[in-house]
Amino acid sequence: MGIQVQKISKKFGTYTALDHVDLQVPSGELVALLGPSGSGKTTLLRIIAGLETPDAGSIHFDGEETTQRKVRERQVGFVFQHYALFRHMTVFDNIAFGLTVKPKTERPDKARIRRRVNELLQLIQLDNMANRYPAQLSGGQRQRVALARALATEPKVLLLDEPFGALDAKVRQELRRWLRNLHDEIHVTSVFVTHDQEEALEVADRVVVMNQAKIEQVGTPEQVYDHPASPFVFSFLGHVNLFHCRSGDHPAGAIASPTRVEGRSIGYVRPGDIRISRSAATSEDYPAEIVFIQGAGALPRVELRRLDNGETVHADLPREKYRQLGLQIGEKVFIRPTNMRIFVPDYQI
Amino acid sequence: MTTQTLSQPSGALTEPRAVRWLLTGLALAFLALFLLVPLVAVFVQALEKGVETYWAAIIEPDAVAAIRLTLIAAAISVPLNLVFGIAAAWAITKFKFRGKAFLITLLDLPFSVSPVISGFIYVLVFGLQGWLGPWLKAHDLQLIFAVPGIVLATIFVTFPLVARELIPLMQAQGTEEEEAALVLGASGWQIFSRVTLPNVIWGVLYGVILCNARAMGEFGAVSVVSGHIRGLTNTLPLHVEILYNEYNFVAAFAVATLLALLAILTLAAKALLEKKVRQEVKATVKPLGME
Repeated sequence: MGIQVQKISKKFGTYTALDHVDLQVPSGELVALLGPSGSGKTTLLRIIAGLETPDAGSIHFDGEETTQRKVRERQVGFVFQHYALFRHMTVFDNIAFGLTVKPKTERPDKARIRRRVNELLQLIQLDNMANRYPAQLSGGQRQRVALARALATEPKVLLLDEPFGALDAKVRQELRRWLRNLHDEIHVTSVFVTHDQEEALEVADRVVVMNQAKIEQVGTPEQVYDHPASPFVFSFLGHVNLFHCRSGDHPAGAIASPTRVEGRSIGYVRPGDIRISRSAATSEDYPAEIVFIQGAGALPRVELRRLDNGETVHADLPREKYRQLGLQIGEKVFIRPTNMRIFVPDYQI
Repeated sequence: MTTQTLSQPSGALTEPRAVRWLLTGLALAFLALFLLVPLVAVFVQALEKGVETYWAAIIEPDAVAAIRLTLIAAAISVPLNLVFGIAAAWAITKFKFRGKAFLITLLDLPFSVSPVISGFIYVLVFGLQGWLGPWLKAHDLQLIFAVPGIVLATIFVTFPLVARELIPLMQAQGTEEEEAALVLGASGWQIFSRVTLPNVIWGVLYGVILCNARAMGEFGAVSVVSGHIRGLTNTLPLHVEILYNEYNFVAAFAVATLLALLAILTLAAKALLEKKVRQEVKATVKPLGME
């Protein structure tokens, strides 16, 4: 089921959490709401669920207005950041809850409920833990139970609030892959909130970047990473180098940005898009000195200082290239920014 | 610095042996003198003239009437305050509404007013010369110097006990589980009965026990509204006072042992429950960090 968010605004006292936000979530997609703390992403998610009421605007599920509909009638599944499992119920009872609170006429019989819960337990790979209590589970297991509980009633929309926020790095990695696979299997329209850009880029079909109560950009992970619409999106989605250059001064072929640039402007380049060479092939190469090398890790990182204006530039090199070059600290080299984007300076972060 | 085991704190954090013994000894002596000795004295005095005299004082008709009245007052006020306390705590901790701060202040009123004053207020309002006195008399209702007045006064003084116990507990637990139940399709009553109440059940019991102890032991407010009519409007604490004033020490202490036993039972139950309540709070401690 698709979700249409239209002109939603929400204030908490004088603080604006959402400011005329529009968003389309196509049916069956896995969408990430990505943004820093206080950008309004959780509020938007809670408004879609019906846990908060918007001051203005409307929410439609498949074109049908749901803004005024009660939470329990919206048929959404919600996964909370801190799991919110019922602590006095077993895993089994937690998952069965949504089915057992249905009105008598709609409630499946006990055998049916048992079957459904067992199915879900298998799905989350916790079949042998049905009788445990939440306190006896690890964080990752609790989050999977929370997910199974949300899925038990076959919601039309699944909403997840920082689903992996409280987990350690390794479990997080595993769980987000698992979530991705799960979504590929069941195809329920899903929206999840995260402040971790890596998580959003890895898991989502579509990323919605939010900042200060507004949506900055919506696009596939490649689109938002490679073609950021604003300096904010550029710097929020990964490391960035700022290149100060005069207009006309920068390499024409590498610019994919607003063309009306006057006076000084700032170019944004990802560390992975900096090419290092020993000799200047063209005038687009800037002379620089190597200040520091961090050779360990998947992408060796080189810190350089531009000789023309003293700016610091970070470059990530593929390991192979790094070995081939055999760079030394203090060495003078040439750097060339490829895939640079220019934003007019008063539109800075 | 040499390594030390954790069970032996470094010299900087401990006092010389003599000082330690002295301080501990003083504290224990204080406890014994002001708590233990009086408790023992109650039982010694009560049994001074033998078990038979003791038993006679307890099964004496006026004493039995006082026991009965105390039980009635507790049996009415505790359930009422239980319902009220849970409702108030639920409203205060799980909902946002205007006048919440006022309601919390109102809840504390019985604690901040001297029980004697609250008793007088009841006399002023419901007594024969009180505001509602003529109306009550016209309808042949007597509240003051009768059982209903005692029950009312007891309810008043025990008013905050259950709610006060539950509010911090429910605040610590937050509303996430209720929200989860709501999204899963539960109705208001289902959320309350299947999520909220089971999560605080030990806290509720704890509150009930405190409430019961106070209801049975209340003296001040009840003393004012009771009228001390033997066999009719005397509760246990009032009966003890009357016997004592009549220099009937053995009987006074005999009846007092009942209250002392109640206190000991309450303490024991309290100690047991405190552990359970702590677990209820503990299960809610959330992982730190992350928005």
